[in-house]
Amino acid sequence: MNSIRARLIIALTILVALVSALAATVTYQRVLHETSILFDYQLRQMALSLRNQVSLAPRIEVPADQGDADFVVQIWDSFGTRMYLSRPGLPMINQTVLGFADLSVQGEAWRAYGLQTADGVIQIAQPVRVRGTLARGAAERVIVPLLLLLPLMLMAVAWTVRRGLGPLQRLASEVQRRDARSLKPVVSEDLPIEIRPLADELNRLLLRLQAAFAAQRTFISDAAHELRSPLTALRLQMQLLDRAPDEAARLEARARLGDAVARAIHLAEQLLALARSDPQEAVGQVEAMDLSAVAVEGVADCHALAVTRQVELSLESSPTVRIAGEEESIRILIRNLVDNAVRYTPSGGCVQVRCAQTSGGALLEVRDTGPGIPAADRERVFDRFYRHAQGHESGSGLGLAIVKAIAERHRAQIDLADAPGGGLQVSVRFPRSP
Amino acid sequence: MRVLLIEDDEMIASGLQTGLRQAGYAADWMRDGRSATAALQSTTYDVVLLDLGLPQRHGLEILRELRRGGNSIPVIIVTARDERENRIAGLDAGADDYIVKPFDLDELMARVRSVLRRAAGRGDPRITHGDLCLDPATRTVEQRGIPVRLSAHEYSVLEALLQRPGTVLSRAQLEDRLYGWDEPIGSNAVEVYVHSLRRKLGSEVIKTMRGVGYFVPKP
Repeated sequence: MNSIRARLIIALTILVALVSALAATVTYQRVLHETSILFDYQLRQMALSLRNQVSLAPRIEVPADQGDADFVVQIWDSFGTRMYLSRPGLPMINQTVLGFADLSVQGEAWRAYGLQTADGVIQIAQPVRVRGTLARGAAERVIVPLLLLLPLMLMAVAWTVRRGLGPLQRLASEVQRRDARSLKPVVSEDLPIEIRPLADELNRLLLRLQAAFAAQRTFISDAAHELRSPLTALRLQMQLLDRAPDEAARLEARARLGDAVARAIHLAEQLLALARSDPQEAVGQVEAMDLSAVAVEGVADCHALAVTRQVELSLESSPTVRIAGEEESIRILIRNLVDNAVRYTPSGGCVQVRCAQTSGGALLEVRDTGPGIPAADRERVFDRFYRHAQGHESGSGLGLAIVKAIAERHRAQIDLADAPGGGLQVSVRFPRSP
Repeated sequence: MRVLLIEDDEMIASGLQTGLRQAGYAADWMRDGRSATAALQSTTYDVVLLDLGLPQRHGLEILRELRRGGNSIPVIIVTARDERENRIAGLDAGADDYIVKPFDLDELMARVRSVLRRAAGRGDPRITHGDLCLDPATRTVEQRGIPVRLSAHEYSVLEALLQRPGTVLSRAQLEDRLYGWDEPIGSNAVEVYVHSLRRKLGSEVIKTMRGVGYFVPKP
C-alpha cells in the first residue's frame, strides 16, 4: 500500500475506532460506577423512608410497585415472618441481609439493602442488570456521534490529501514537459513546504544538467571548428595533388597530404582522449601502479620525435614510484607533456623528465629549454584549443587540456614554472597512494 | 597579381600558397597579425586572404585598421567560423567576401577573381583590349578570336598591364606581381617576358617608356 491517501484513511479509521472504543469503555465504566453509587443511595433512602412509615403505622400498605426500577421491597417482622412483598410475581429473594449485599437469584445478580428496624427487617433489592443497561445506554450515546463523524472525517481527509497533492501533480506535469533543451528551473514558490525540498533538489539537478549540456555543446562546437583546420588542409592537398603540373609537385602534394591525414588522425585521437579523461566520468580501473615504468614508456613513445627534432630527451627516475591511478590515462598524460615539451624546444635543446617518490606522494617533472610560457598565460594554456601566441606548432591545442583533466581525475596538482636556465617546467604531484 | 595570405595554420597556408602560385599569383604568407600589418604597409597587394583566429591580433582588427587607413584593397575572409554573426561582422568590418573552411580551392580562386574584377571596376569577367581578350578564369588569351599560348608568367605580365591601360608599371612593380618574397627572381626576367609577349602578340601591344617601365596604350 503506497498511497498517502489510503494510508491516511486507514490510519484515521483505526484511530477513530480506537478512540470510540476507548470512549465507550470509559463512559460505560464511569456511568456504571456512578449509577451504582446513585442506586445504592436510592436503595438505602427507600429503606429508610419505609422504616419511618412502618414504624409510624406498622400495618399500612407500603407504596406498591416502584415502576421500571424493578425494585423489590420485602419486610420481615422480628420473628422472621415476611410481612410484605412488593411484587409477588418476581422470583423470591429469601435471604435476609443487613447493609448492602450482592445476591444471586436464579442466576441473576441482584443488589440488596437490608435495614434493621425495631419491628423487623426491611429489604430493598434491585437487579444489577438495570445498572448495566443504563451504563450501556450512556456509552452508546457517546459512540454513535463519533461513528457518524467517521465518514465525514474520511471525506475531509480525501479532499485535503487531493488538494495537498495537487501541487505535486502540477510539478510532475511541469517536469514532464522538460527535455534537454528546456532545463529552466521549475516554479517552487507556491509548493507546500513538504514538497519544496524535492522541487529545490530538482532545480539544482536541472542547473547541473544545464551546465553539463552547455559544456557538451561548447565542446562539440569547438571540436567541430578545430576539425575544420585539418580537413581544410586535407582538401587543399588533395586538390593540389589532382592538379599537380609535374612529378615533383605531385610528390610534394602527396607528402603533405600524408601529413594532413596524420594531423586529422592526431586531432581525432586527442579529442577521444579528452572525452575519456573527463573528470565527470566515473573513474575506471584505479589500481596501484608504478609511475616510473609508465614514464619509461611515455618517454620512449616520444623518442622518435625527439630524434627528428634533434632534441635531447632524458629520463631520471627512482626504480619504482607508487601511485594509485589508471595506467592508460597516466601514459597519455606523460606522453602529452613530453610531446609538448619536445615540440616547443628548439633543435639542440633538451627535455628532462624526472619521476620520484616524495613525502607527499609522487612527483612527475618535465623540464624543457623551449621559450616557456609567460606567467599571465599559464592559466589559459589548460583551456581546450588554446595555442601559444608565438606557437608555430600546428598541434591539436588539446594536449594540456587532456593533461589537466587526467590530473584532476587523479587528484594530482599541476604547476607550471620557469625551468632553471629558461624553458618551461611542468610538475605533476600525485597524492600518496592509499 | 600579388596575394597576401594571413593564416596561422602552416599546413593550410603552405597548401594555399602552392595553389595560388600554380594559378599564377605571387603569394606571400604572414602567420600573425603584427607581421601582416607590417607587410601591408611595405608592399602593394592586389588581394588579401585573411584568417580571423590569429595570434597577437585578431583578423577583424587588422581589417578595420586597413579600412580606417583608407586602403580599399579587396579582402576575402577565410575562416572556420561559420556562424551568421561572424559572417555579418566580417563583411561589415570591410571584407569583400567571406569563405568558410574547409573550402574548395576552385571556389576560392573564383572568389579571388571576382573581387579582383570588381576592384578593377569591370563587370565582364574577361578583359578585352583592342583585338585582345583575356579570360582570368582559364588564364587564356585570344587575339582576333584565335587562342594564343602564353606561359604563366607571360600571362601575369600581360594581365597586370591590361588591368589599367595607360598606366606605366616599372620592372620592380611587375616583379612584385610575379614573385612572392621567397621566390627567386631571374635578373632580367621581366624583359624576357615582355620580349616574348611582343613576339607572340605583335610589337605594338606593349610599349616601353624608357627608364620608367612598360604600359599598354589606351585603346
